[in-house]
Amino acid sequence: MTDADFRQKLRGFIEERFLVTFDADFPEDSDLFREGVMDSFGYIQLHRFIESEFGIAFTESELAKGVLVSLTQFQDYVGRRLDLQTDAHTIPRA
Amino acid sequence: MCGVAGFLSFDSDPGDFAVRIADMLARIRHRGPDASGAMACDHGAIGVARLSIVDVANGDQPMSDSSGRYWIAYNGEVYNHVELRRELEDKGCAFRTRCDTEVVLQAWLTWGPDCLARLNGGFAFAIMDIATGALVLARDRFGKRPLFYARFGDRLLFASEMKAFLAFPDFAFRQDPEQLAAILAQWTPLPTQTGFEGVESLPLGGCLEIRSADWRVRSVARLPFDAPPAVDEASAKAQIRSALRRSVELRLRSDVEVGVYLSGGLDSAIIARLVTDITGAPPKTFSISFEDAGLDESPAQREMAAALGAEHHTVKIAARDVAADFSVAIEHAEIPAFRCAFAPMYRLAALTRAHGVKVTLSGEGADEAFLGYDLFKETLLRTHWAEQDDATRKARLASLYPHLDHYGADDLAPLMALYQQFSVERLPGLFSHELRFQNGRFAARLIRGAKEPFAAILQETAQDGDFAAVGPTQKAQWLEYRTLLPGYLLSTQGERMSLAHGVENRCPFLDPEVIAAACASNLRFDDGFTEKRLLRLAFADSLPESIVNRRKFPYRAPDAAAFQAGRPDWLELVLSDAELQKLPFLDARFASALAARALTRPVAEISTKEDQTFVFLLSIVLLHRAFVMRRLAPAPRAPTRLRDLRSAPLHSQGNFVVVT
Repeated sequence: MTDADFRQKLRGFIEERFLVTFDADFPEDSDLFREGVMDSFGYIQLHRFIESEFGIAFTESELAKGVLVSLTQFQDYVGRRLDLQTDAHTIPRA
Repeated sequence: MCGVAGFLSFDSDPGDFAVRIADMLARIRHRGPDASGAMACDHGAIGVARLSIVDVANGDQPMSDSSGRYWIAYNGEVYNHVELRRELEDKGCAFRTRCDTEVVLQAWLTWGPDCLARLNGGFAFAIMDIATGALVLARDRFGKRPLFYARFGDRLLFASEMKAFLAFPDFAFRQDPEQLAAILAQWTPLPTQTGFEGVESLPLGGCLEIRSADWRVRSVARLPFDAPPAVDEASAKAQIRSALRRSVELRLRSDVEVGVYLSGGLDSAIIARLVTDITGAPPKTFSISFEDAGLDESPAQREMAAALGAEHHTVKIAARDVAADFSVAIEHAEIPAFRCAFAPMYRLAALTRAHGVKVTLSGEGADEAFLGYDLFKETLLRTHWAEQDDATRKARLASLYPHLDHYGADDLAPLMALYQQFSVERLPGLFSHELRFQNGRFAARLIRGAKEPFAAILQETAQDGDFAAVGPTQKAQWLEYRTLLPGYLLSTQGERMSLAHGVENRCPFLDPEVIAAACASNLRFDDGFTEKRLLRLAFADSLPESIVNRRKFPYRAPDAAAFQAGRPDWLELVLSDAELQKLPFLDARFASALAARALTRPVAEISTKEDQTFVFLLSIVLLHRAFVMRRLAPAPRAPTRLRDLRSAPLHSQGNFVVVT
């Protein structure tokens, strides 16, 4: 999966689920809570989507660092985790 | 129970007063089908559509004092009228009837605005001084009975329901985007908000005094949260039992039969039990059941009715019934609604009236007083978040909203993070409701370019001295007593539905002594995580065990699912771009996408906030059609017995005419 692929998948999910369109008036770094796009149910839906779509499990210690609030933050987080997972597969076990 | 209406005229010819007041009363005749009476003087007119309950033979309204100078139009019941009458007689007042209307008039003339705190009940009234044209409008502290007012040219109009203003052909309703955004975000209006520009609702426990150009609105009767604590659990339970018993006794004062709305939960079960104990016979009970087993509480309702030996009546609701009733029900409600659960109450009231019952008791107000809502537990959890270990946090989170899919065990990790974030106040004073209001921001997106939707509620809470003085849980109660309870439960889901069929509902939990008993015991003998624990224990010996131990089951009805099951013609109002364009303040693109989603997606995929926003959207377009476009069904003028005091000398009783 390319960088553009997963970014688009995340964007598409949010646009479809939360009835919003990202554009110049509603940039990708908008706070989705503050703008009334995401509530607790939407927030859990998005986490479930990321887990099922990208195989990424959120750990409590990561989540405790703070709640992700924008598309950009979710994209960056998923990007980091996908890189990490790729690394983990390529590093031979001792 | 009745509907009141009237107007004060500052500078107009009294020639049309008689027909205008008759037309206003015709618009609210459903509230009081037994008789229509009015009084017109040189300053204006007041009138009443009357549902006769106490002193059926002698309670004609409007009623004057013995001097003929002060006239009252009164809606509601003051349950302690017998005690107040004695107190007033001791002060030298003489009474001509045994009707509570006369007690309220004398109480006002004796104590002025201070009388409002003495009146225990649900009421709204207007008193006109025909010598000076001074007018007083007042309302009870819980908002049990409505009273709306609007300035219209050189007149001040008032009525129990806003639709009475349509009696003036030039009166123009305009929906107010700013108020609508607040209603959408808060779920309900604030006590003074209506959703219409220039139309206000009288504040709770407030009065408006108008003397020519001088207008003064003030809040008089406050809600107390400062009861002295109970000394121990046993005395707390005894206090709860005796306060509720006394409250039910007061609310059984009626010259007509009293029934009980039985929900299947604890609160109405307690009321039904007390009625049976006090009168020595079970009341007729009335309930809603649902075809959808996930919403249905009929087994618990039947069990309770059987335990009492009550004659029990049920109206069974299918999803398509909600769709069929929604438009007429919202026209009665007049305020945008966030869920469809009010619509079945419309059928329940019809069933009740069909069985000859005009007065019912129900359990509203128990959850606010005794911390029954999950919201209170959520507030406690977030307030003490930092002091709890992770295991406690998780256990409490998991038990918080078991009926919500996203509060399951698999989602606890992200929920923990979310709650961590919401353990710190963001909106000053509104800590308890911040997660709910977060959800409300989604609905506020229906309004194009909405400003901060919480501006009005932030201002109201900042200005209230009582609010500032209490802790987070009591702030949550304060907010519930001023938003969801009066703005939806008592109004849209409560009296607007029951009075659509001439049924008066009374709420024994909305009694100052009952609230004092709750305040005396709340959080003093437990941690608040078992909802209404002491209330349950107080009545554990007199109710079936399954009812005592039953977890609160939120009363809900199908929302978007209703409109998938039955598609009324008027859905075109939200499906057609041309129709949506008629409401330029709506974000048509969002509204359109939402409507398409709500009507086509599998029900399980429609979230609560989407359901809510969709029901709001339907309400707004239907209210636009009914009020702004004036498409409400015509209201033929009913014969109105009018006492005509225009150009009559003071102290005369004028002439009676019948306006047809």
